[in-house]
Amino acid sequence: MSHYVIRRVLQAIPMLIGISVIVFVLLQMTPGGPLAVVENPGGSGRVTQEQLERLRARYGLDDPLYVRYLRWAGDLVRGDWGTSFNTGQPVLTMIWERVPTTLLVTGLAFLVALALAFPIGIVSAARQYSLFDYLATSAAFLGIAVPSFWLALMFLYVFTFTLDWLPAVGLSDPRQQHDGLAAVVDRAQHLIMPVSVLALVSTASLTRYVRAAMLDVLGQDYMRTARAKGLAEQAVITVHALKNAAIPIVTILALEIPDLFIGSVIVESIFAISGMGRLFVESADLRDYPVLMGILLIASFLVILFNLIADILYSRLDPRIRYR
Amino acid sequence: MSKLVKHTDDASLAAALPLRPVGAADLGHAAPRSRWSDTWRQFRRHRLALVSLAVLALMGLAVIVGPALLPYDPERIDFAAKSQPPSLAHPMGTDELGRDQLVRVLDGGRISLAVALAVVVVAMTVGVTVGAVAGYAGGVVDNALMRLVDVFYSMPGLFVIILVVTLVGPRFATIVLVLGLLRWMTTARLVRGTFLSLREKEFVEAARAVGAGHARIVVRHLLPNTMSPVIVAATLGIAGAILTESALSFLGVGFQPPQATWGRMLQEAQRTVVNDGQWWRGFFPGLMIFLTILAVNFVGDGLRDALDPRRVGR
Repeated sequence: MSHYVIRRVLQAIPMLIGISVIVFVLLQMTPGGPLAVVENPGGSGRVTQEQLERLRARYGLDDPLYVRYLRWAGDLVRGDWGTSFNTGQPVLTMIWERVPTTLLVTGLAFLVALALAFPIGIVSAARQYSLFDYLATSAAFLGIAVPSFWLALMFLYVFTFTLDWLPAVGLSDPRQQHDGLAAVVDRAQHLIMPVSVLALVSTASLTRYVRAAMLDVLGQDYMRTARAKGLAEQAVITVHALKNAAIPIVTILALEIPDLFIGSVIVESIFAISGMGRLFVESADLRDYPVLMGILLIASFLVILFNLIADILYSRLDPRIRYR
Repeated sequence: MSKLVKHTDDASLAAALPLRPVGAADLGHAAPRSRWSDTWRQFRRHRLALVSLAVLALMGLAVIVGPALLPYDPERIDFAAKSQPPSLAHPMGTDELGRDQLVRVLDGGRISLAVALAVVVVAMTVGVTVGAVAGYAGGVVDNALMRLVDVFYSMPGLFVIILVVTLVGPRFATIVLVLGLLRWMTTARLVRGTFLSLREKEFVEAARAVGAGHARIVVRHLLPNTMSPVIVAATLGIAGAILTESALSFLGVGFQPPQATWGRMLQEAQRTVVNDGQWWRGFFPGLMIFLTILAVNFVGDGLRDALDPRRVGR
């Protein structure tokens, strides 16, 4: 089994290289190339042709493409991700500062989605064609079609403008200095809407997966055996069915995380939360390419990482699958 | 068992659709005419899908002829009528420049729907081509193309789209190409899988034996067999494309003002909805996105049921 894990990890390496090549090619597409900012700072042509050539030579921009790629990739591996055009800070530092916020929002949303999708999906499947199943399936179908930014905007209208219950932006109230319990309450109030929006959208699709996986298992012969030997229905569902249904679900869960991460771009923008997603949109506005590239690379790594985790979990959980 | 099949209704299962071998019947004869009427008969039984199809047709008609019929121009400014709630004269209200929201929603819908359709055309063209080449050629070619699919699958969609549109500029062609080039992989895998499994079937052998060339085998015998899942994937792809384009516009990266799109209108509405409570500014454009995606998903569901050979005759 560990052979499989090692092989699978090794397979991820060419993927990483492939993505880094694409990102590098995109970087070359930057209008005017990497020196555009120096060439024309604020429209005044203060840089002479000679200086420009010296800069090109110094940064090795006249080298062949593959040499530049290798040098760039080498810098990445050594932790040099360039500096922001906007703030002059190292890209990696800037991203790192935003990570905890994004993790907090997406992590909470993930937990909420799990807590909702599992019970709903299981009951829905166990009582197929019941009123509950009908309502849950309909709600999931609606939930999949709802654009998160619309949902967020309508939440803001209802809970902030009309009812004035929840704050609209940020993760804490900048006008008041809270401490202790008050700070926790303040933080929670700020988190309710962004987390709900993110969670609802993924609950809708997760519920469908849980339900489908459970229905698949409930139709198996061993379920009849379990019932025939006199097990209580609850034990049949939770022990025999859920355990087997969990295998495909776990795979989906691992793949849901990058989706949540992508969804955070929208949610962080609308609720003005300073996470990685908002940094990305702000950097796009400012044409801050080094930061954009950095976040894009990290997001790609995440997708590959969770694909890897999903595959490995799948092979570990399902004894029927044997890889050589 | 049939009950179970009927309700395992999630998108991932589209890939598992078995296919009717059309190629055999095609050999020397016209394609069976009854296939499409068969599909239509099945499709009609899915009430919601039928209603959704009507909704989409109506929406298509509305965005094409609607702006011409309404007495307003989507970009005409009228301060006398600014920020009005919905009324008979302005069923969706007006914005802070007094522009009629209904005509803007219809005008924007034209762009949003056109982008979605074009994206699906790009995605299907690339997907079917890559899938067909990989599945038919097999071996090294297949391997290389499938690794390419893996790489594209690992790209975090929205991030890449935002970056490229920022780099190249928010033109119609750019947005369509970028969105399309990030949505072809599922189709490619689907087509490749079918090609691989059908490549060695007797009817292909028979076609080869009577002297059919590669092109003829691919186009006449293999491609028709992949059409059912491709049609379903294309339909559902429209929903994804609309959502992504709106998200892009919403984030301010997509189409630029004064051009209205549903996402753009939502973006412009953000401040007024939250600060001034002008709910109609955000409600209607979002409702259009929601209804379109919902209807497209239902139609896709209905098509999947109708095109699934396991269901024919039930």
